Amino acid sequence: MCGIAGIYSYHYAANPIDRAELRRLRDHMAARGPDGAGEWCTADNRVGLAHRRLSIIDLSEDGAQPMVDADANAVITFNGEIYNYKALRRGLEQQGHVFRTDSDTEVLLHLYAAKGPRMADDLRGMFAFALWDGARRRLLLARDPYGIKPLYYADDGWTLRFASQVKALVAGGGVSCAPEPAGWAGFLLFGSIPEPYTNYQEIRAVPAGATMWVDSCGPAKPANYFSVSAEIRAAEDRLPARPGDVQERAREALLDSVRHHLVADVPVGIFLSAGVDSGALLGLMRDVSTAEIHSVTLAYEDFRNRREDEAPGARAVAASYASTHTTRVVTESEFRADLPKIFEAMDQPTVDGINTWFVSKAARELGLKAAVSGLGGDELFAGYPSFRDIPRWVRWGRLPSHVPFLGDLVRRLIAGSRRLHPKTAALVKYAGSYAGAYLLRRGIFMPWELGQVMDRDFMAEGVRRLDPLGIIAASAGPLPRTAIGKVASFEACVYLRNQLLRDTDWAGMAHSVEVRVPFVDRRLLTEIAPLVMSLPPGTGKRLVAASPRKPLPDAVVDRKKTGFETPIKDWLQRDDRTQTWRRIPELARASCPWARRWAYQLATLAEARPLA
Amino acid sequence: MNILALVGDAFGGHGGIAQYNRDLFTALKVGGCAERIVVLPRQGRAGTPEPPDRVRQLGPRGKSCYPLAALRAAVAEGPFDVMFCGHLNLAPLAAMVSRLIGVPLWLQLHGWEAWEPTRAQAWAARHSTLITAVSRYTRRRFIRSVAIDPQRIRVLPNTVDEKFTPGPPPPSLVERYRLQGRRVLLTVGRLSPDERGKGHDKVIGALPQLIADHPDLVYLVVGDGGDRQRLAAAAKEGGVADHVLFAGAVASDELADHYRLATVFVMPSIQEGFGIAFLEAAGSGLIAIGGNRDGSVDPLADGAAGMIVDPTSPMQLVAAIESALAGQGPDPAQARRFRFENFGGHLRDLVTTHLLPPRVEAA
Repeated sequence: MCGIAGIYSYHYAANPIDRAELRRLRDHMAARGPDGAGEWCTADNRVGLAHRRLSIIDLSEDGAQPMVDADANAVITFNGEIYNYKALRRGLEQQGHVFRTDSDTEVLLHLYAAKGPRMADDLRGMFAFALWDGARRRLLLARDPYGIKPLYYADDGWTLRFASQVKALVAGGGVSCAPEPAGWAGFLLFGSIPEPYTNYQEIRAVPAGATMWVDSCGPAKPANYFSVSAEIRAAEDRLPARPGDVQERAREALLDSVRHHLVADVPVGIFLSAGVDSGALLGLMRDVSTAEIHSVTLAYEDFRNRREDEAPGARAVAASYASTHTTRVVTESEFRADLPKIFEAMDQPTVDGINTWFVSKAARELGLKAAVSGLGGDELFAGYPSFRDIPRWVRWGRLPSHVPFLGDLVRRLIAGSRRLHPKTAALVKYAGSYAGAYLLRRGIFMPWELGQVMDRDFMAEGVRRLDPLGIIAASAGPLPRTAIGKVASFEACVYLRNQLLRDTDWAGMAHSVEVRVPFVDRRLLTEIAPLVMSLPPGTGKRLVAASPRKPLPDAVVDRKKTGFETPIKDWLQRDDRTQTWRRIPELARASCPWARRWAYQLATLAEARPLA
Repeated sequence: MNILALVGDAFGGHGGIAQYNRDLFTALKVGGCAERIVVLPRQGRAGTPEPPDRVRQLGPRGKSCYPLAALRAAVAEGPFDVMFCGHLNLAPLAAMVSRLIGVPLWLQLHGWEAWEPTRAQAWAARHSTLITAVSRYTRRRFIRSVAIDPQRIRVLPNTVDEKFTPGPPPPSLVERYRLQGRRVLLTVGRLSPDERGKGHDKVIGALPQLIADHPDLVYLVVGDGGDRQRLAAAAKEGGVADHVLFAGAVASDELADHYRLATVFVMPSIQEGFGIAFLEAAGSGLIAIGGNRDGSVDPLADGAAGMIVDPTSPMQLVAAIESALAGQGPDPAQARRFRFENFGGHLRDLVTTHLLPPRVEAA
């Protein structure tokens, strides 16, 4: 887990790369890689790759990057972990490849030599890398199937720059800072910016599950090698599992994923809540390892002796699986002190991620460099209420949504009502389709409300470019046929990708902690998706809870879901530095949902902010 | 590949866009990308230089008859594999015709007309298979205006004729303009009242301060148009009329010699799509000065091939001209990167990547 960056002056008219800019890109990401820094440039200075290292596998200098394969005339800068690198290495050695290090990075170089860009099909892990093929004078950018690791690029028509963080590209000084209307509209609609957009017009995300060539013509259209939605859709076509097999198959698949996610040359801890996902992961970790496991739970002073307090439940689970457990208490004063650093570390505006900031901070205090998180369990095992709500809304809303103009009429009639929830006005308009119902479920503002907080013309342009329902459908395409499949695709390809995984990345890396997510794994998806399709609604999490050899107790399974719930909302309401929303009348209303105020507050912090 | 090209003007036309089109068709032909190109200009006249072999330019059709002529050419002169549209104003027509005959559209963007396109033009752009912009600035402005995948817009800059080389000032021109013992600041460009962005008035505004230190300085303005009188009046008002010479339009065979009269080329523009004059100046060995607010930064290679100033800052302009007069500035030879060979090579890569059928690639 590291920070990568690079510059490629691909156009004949472009100047050679500016090495000082390359270092600025790299060193803006120092927190991502405190253990080392490297750079490499071609002799003609047309290509430069850079790397900040957080050593997890092969801690020696041999694993330093960018890594050069002189024989193949290839160089790589790589961020992430390849969990199946040992198996891949064995296969390559049988084909005659000779390795000089123990790192997973070198496996990538050899795999490219053997398979070219199709190498991405073989990789199990979280990764973003750039590989310079000197023989063909082409750069290959690639990103893992779910988009766990970020990779952004900016192309000005002459020069391509890439980095693990949007802010690093901006810090380099070579990228236009013009704001992207679609990115800002997306942030206010969803609470995070939907890929491929960012908050800057010139900066885009390399799509998850895609590779992208850059040659003398510039970046080519990204080529998908994996689609979460396609995998779910394929699962719909498979024969349902026999009921007796389901639990055992789930356990085997989960054990396999956990085993792979523990590959490291440093201890791997776990973020433990009182919920099913992280608890079951700890149980599975115990099943595959007898080594000491450090578990960390956040507790908030304000929640002491309240239902929301995760600490007692987590402590019991930790005791059950014999982990070395730490409860880290976060206070309001610590939160206030950290808030400026949180804003600084937040790579793009997002309404979430602060809890991950503190749990990662706690892990780092314990000396952990890597920790497992239960992220993605709800998406994979249909644990969110959305799996129940959205199909129901679509059933009820289908007929009224087909009545011409009814949706807009209802919206106009009840928009601005102080008694009704703001989204009520959108029910008729959106509830009749899955993408619309998903926007209702996850949306913060509705599209026609953005003019209240953003510049009206900028907002109109943003919504037009973004096409909110279009981008939901496109992100989760090809859309599965079943209701559960559709919602699973939306949750994995919109919420998980744009919000949870991105937040986990910036908040974890700010403390130089690599967060590993065993529930977010392509092989696990292939195994689990058919099983979940065949389960009665709402029972997926029981499968997870029963997977460790010593199952989670019923008390954990039946506990009302809280996740890592925090009192941060109240703290922000009381903080003088986060009160800008009060100047917008619609946000100052007592009934206004807090997420709207917070989203607006975050938008005011951006340098290029198109606010009303 | 057979190409039908709808253009404003090309062979026999004047100005940067006509030159661009001529270079493009020549490069396509020379580089082996096109077997046959039929060019339908909307204006201009047939004339020199003659199109290369297998590039046929039809007679100009004027504005009203042009759509029918385009349709007729598409049917009667075909079959074609690609339609090239050389100006955004022609893009809606080109998009319709290309869809009718079922061939991909290649759209070329130049200057300010592409910065705020109409809906019809944006529609046409979205139906283009390849869009080439003359500069990064034009590309950025177009992407800002039109929601389009940035990967479909590539930059293909102007190239420069090799006749622009350094040389001594030709005595006949020194005589014509009475430049004996004078140093010359030069701007080459149309003096159109609609395009007041080339920055002539900014140079005239800087002259009093420059002349105080360099009384031998003359500002030679090459190019003609309706804005000339206003500029002459500004020079008179600034008390520098004796130091400003309007050469008017210059025949193309005399243009290279006019660059050789100059010490410094200066064009602090604010709405230049690219500015081929910067390349001609650099080819002639001159230090060129341009603005940082438009496409000028491309021929000046971000400051590597010429000096870049904020065109709204008189102080920066004067300082840059002072430096250039003292011979201090970037090496104009850096602009060699824009030579025809590189232009043609890149063009071939673009055509191969975007317009020819994809090749099956081995792993």
